[in-house]
This record gives sequence, C-alpha cells and structure tokens, in this order.
Amino acid sequence: MSYKIAIASSDGKQIDQTFGQAKSFAIYEVTGDKCSKIDERVFHQEEEQENTMSLQGSSKAEPSCKNGTSKGCGQGKGCSGGNGCGGDVSAKVELISDCRCIVCKKIGFHIQKQLERKAISAFDVTCTVEEALSKISNYFSHIDNHKSLRGQR
Amino acid sequence: MAKLLDKQRYKCALGAMQTVQAITRAVPVLHSGPGCAQKLSDSIGSSGYFSPNIFPCTSINEKDVVFGGAKKLETTIENALKVIDADLYVVLTGCIPEIVGDDTGEVVSRFADADKPVIYASTAGFKGNNYIGHEQIIDALIEQYLEKSEEKEKGLVNIWADVPYQDLFWLGNIKELERLLSEIGLTPNTIFGYNRGIENINKIPKAEFNLLVSPWVSVGNMKKMEKKLGIPYLHYQTLPIGAYETSQFLRKVGEYAGVSEEKVEDVIREHEEYYYYLIERYADLFLENRVINKQFSVVADAQYALGITKFLANDLGLVPAKQFIVDDTPKQYREAIAEEFKKLNFDLQAEVVFETDSYKIHNQIQEHDYHGYPLILGSYYEKELTESLKGNYLNISWPVQDKVVLDDFYVGYTGGIRLIEDIYTVAVQRFN
Repeated sequence: MSYKIAIASSDGKQIDQTFGQAKSFAIYEVTGDKCSKIDERVFHQEEEQENTMSLQGSSKAEPSCKNGTSKGCGQGKGCSGGNGCGGDVSAKVELISDCRCIVCKKIGFHIQKQLERKAISAFDVTCTVEEALSKISNYFSHIDNHKSLRGQR
Repeated sequence: MAKLLDKQRYKCALGAMQTVQAITRAVPVLHSGPGCAQKLSDSIGSSGYFSPNIFPCTSINEKDVVFGGAKKLETTIENALKVIDADLYVVLTGCIPEIVGDDTGEVVSRFADADKPVIYASTAGFKGNNYIGHEQIIDALIEQYLEKSEEKEKGLVNIWADVPYQDLFWLGNIKELERLLSEIGLTPNTIFGYNRGIENINKIPKAEFNLLVSPWVSVGNMKKMEKKLGIPYLHYQTLPIGAYETSQFLRKVGEYAGVSEEKVEDVIREHEEYYYYLIERYADLFLENRVINKQFSVVADAQYALGITKFLANDLGLVPAKQFIVDDTPKQYREAIAEEFKKLNFDLQAEVVFETDSYKIHNQIQEHDYHGYPLILGSYYEKELTESLKGNYLNISWPVQDKVVLDDFYVGYTGGIRLIEDIYTVAVQRFN
C-alpha cells in the first residue's frame, strides 16, 4: 500500500515553514520501504482570491472545495479577512487532500480540525525532512502491519 | 480466543495518581494521553487543592508517538515547577510513552537540581493495576527521594495500610490506626491525608520500624525500605476490625515494639469494656435470628475480604460462604492469604476465590445456597445481583455508588461498631 506525505519546507532539507506560510508542499510517496519525491504542489495566492486553485505538476487534485459556495470555508475571507484561517486554508487543505499526513513547523487548531475531518494527520515539528520521513514511514508501517511500536526508540 | 474481563474492580497503574493526590501538597505530573486523568478519577473526595482535572499533563498525541514526547515532558515539568505551588512533583507515565519508549527517567533526572523534589514512576497500564501502581509510587519515594538516617526517633512507627481512594475508608482507617498506636505509647507516622505530607515523608527514615497492615499490597515496599533505609518491618496481614482482631493486633504490635504488656492490656481492657457494653445493649437484636442472614459473602480486595470475613465470623458469629478477592492478587501471596481465611474462631473456615471477572463471581454467588437470603458486602456491581436474590447488600469496596464516606472507618474497635451499624441498618430495613 502506498501513501503520500506532504512537507512544508523552503529548501527541501529543513522543515521550516508553517502551514500558513507555505507557498508549496513537497509531496513524497511511500511504497513499502521506499520513499521518493513525486511532486511539488504550488499554492497560488492570487488565484485563491479568485476562488480557484491552480495545481502545478502532474497531480490531479480535485478543484478547490466548494467553488460555488464562495470563499473556502464559507466565511468569505475568513475570520479576520485577508489570508487568515478562512478561504485560503480550506483550499490549501484541499491541495493536499490525497495525502496521509502533512509535516510543517507549526499548524493552527482550526486547520488541524479541517485536516482531521479528512483523516489527515498533522505533525508540527522542527527537524530535517529526512528525519521526518523516516520516522513517519516507520510509524505508519508499524501501524499498517499491526506491529507493536514497543521499543522503537 | 480473545478474553473479556467483565466489570473489573480496579484501574490501570496510572490510577496511582490518586496515591500521589492523597499526599497533601504533592502533585502528579502525567506523561500520558489527554483524558487519562479524567477517566481515572471518580467522585469520591477527589477535588481539593489539586484535582485530576488540573493535573499537569503532556497530553501526548500522534506526533509525540512518531517523534518522541521527551521534549514535551521536559517543558511540562519545567512549567509545572513554575506555576504550581507543590512540595513534591511525581511524574507518572501512561501506556503510550512506555510503549514507544520515551526515556522518562532521563528527562526527570534533568530536574535533580530543581528547588522542589521531582521523582517518577512508570505506571503504564499494561504493567499492572492501581494496587501495583500504588506500590510503584512508594518505591519511587524510597529509591529516588529517601535517604538512610543514622538518627532514629524512639517509638516512631511508619504505618502503611490501605490504597488511598481505591479504598473508600482510607483516611478514616489510617487516622484510627494512628490513634490506636498512640494509645499504647508509640508515635505514628503516616504520609497520606490531612495535615500529612512532605514533612512526614522526611520522617520515614527515622522510624524504628514500619508497620504494614495489609495482606499483600506494599510488602515489596517494606522489603525495599528494609534494604535501603535499614528499617525493619512488622507485617500484620489482617485489617483489624472489631474487638477480637484489634486486641490481637495491639498485642502483636506492642510485643514487637517492646511496649510493656501491662500498658497494652490496659488499653485493650478499656476499649473492650465499652465495645462489649454496646454489643450487650443490642444483643437482643443480634440474637434474633430472623434479622441477620445465615451466610455472607464479601466481594472486595484482599484487605477487606480478609478483614471483614474475620470480623463477621469471630465477633458476630456469622457463617462465611465463599469469599471473593478481586484485586488480582499476585500469585506468590495467594496461598498465605487463603491460609488466613482458615484461621477463624469456632472452627470455622472460609473458602476464598481469587477472581477478577464479575461474571464468574456473580455466577458463583447465584449458585451458592445461602440457606436463606444472602448478605453480600461488595462493590456497587453486587447491588443488582443481591436485589435479585432478595438479599442484604452493603457497598464497601470499589466501585462505590451507594455510600458517601468522608472520614468514616471500619478499622479498630470503633470501626467494628460502625460496620455493625451499617450492616444492621440494612438488615432491619427489611422489616420496615
């Protein structure tokens, strides 16, 4: 079984972007014990304002959530206007909706809730991309194969 | 095939946070998932200066399972030290950090120089129940906090008895045991409850001996203290309830502590005279054989099953049916405990069953012929069952829904009278 991990990193080495800051997410695919980068999904602010979303690269995610019902989560421009937790976040969540988890420096409570509803785990950590990938894939492989996590560290 | 445990009568080892809570001004710091403390608390006197809903907790989640929760634990302890005014901080670990392998001991060791003592106990649920957790807390105190004392205080005795909160009567019992020891001229020292705390913990090493009143809980602690602190211990297996057992208890303690026989006998005489004065006044009620049940069963932990069985047989002359010990007593203690149930007056013997599954216990109660309606002293789980058997029921063990106890107690002479009052209050209601 393969799954995807979204990572918010400015240089591809260090996890240094918060969910809100991130302009793009690196998408890694894990198959068995192999892990490789398959995509870089860029998030376009200006297009968000027009309430659509552009996806670069090969992935074919669904178009932005609820285009018809205006502005993301239904609050117009979000709680305090601009690019707060409102429209822009929902679209971002949609951008990674096919991933199993998202790794970023920090993440807000409301976005976590939105992710939770899609069964996407959020890991807010500060470490290298490599470390995060190896720990997460180790964790998921234990879970998927019904193996105990006992003594993994 | 998977096994189910029906209606268990204890909690996981993390439930020992209540042992910490019973030490005044000691606060548990939990390294566990969110909700553990809430689930483990029950409303039997657990609010106060610190209560389970405000225990500092790392509230670990999926992220900490993947990336480790050590850092979160460190900041939680650090901030607990800053914002919570306590005398002792006890870090308790739940199942999750123990499974994934957070090195709690190492994190706690970073606080060796803190202004207040920080110790830890690994109370993961899969390691045992809250009786074992209770032992682990005391072990942690012995290993990580207490130091051997060359100086001894004459007559000072540490008393160890019930598991706080798990035992409904823990506070009253320990205070009554203190009173009894004071009366024969000893100086009792306990660490749980009102006006006790870190100062009493500090006094532990100065004691002449430890007195353990319990069939098995804390035997390991006593051995550990004997080894590390050089304090010998007297193990009295039966919780003394009523005149017969309490007088034996005082004689044994007096003899061990080197108190003059005369003094002990004086105290015993005074108590027994009053005790039997009360019994005499109500002898007509006790001898009216339609009032009380012919046979009884106790469904409780080893402490109460043994204490109450001996009391009802020795003092009231009731006939024991099967007795049930529900605390998952470790195997090495079972034989000795079962042996105690055979040492009853009037050549009585009680059969004892070590069983944690309420379904099986209830089946055995239903199958037994009590020669009339039964008297069941047990947990709330036995209420409905006893009602269906038209028996008399008293809630004396965990879980408790049917009784409010602030500082009532069953230990000693007075405690025996209290238990008689409670049992007969139930019994006479049948005839109203």
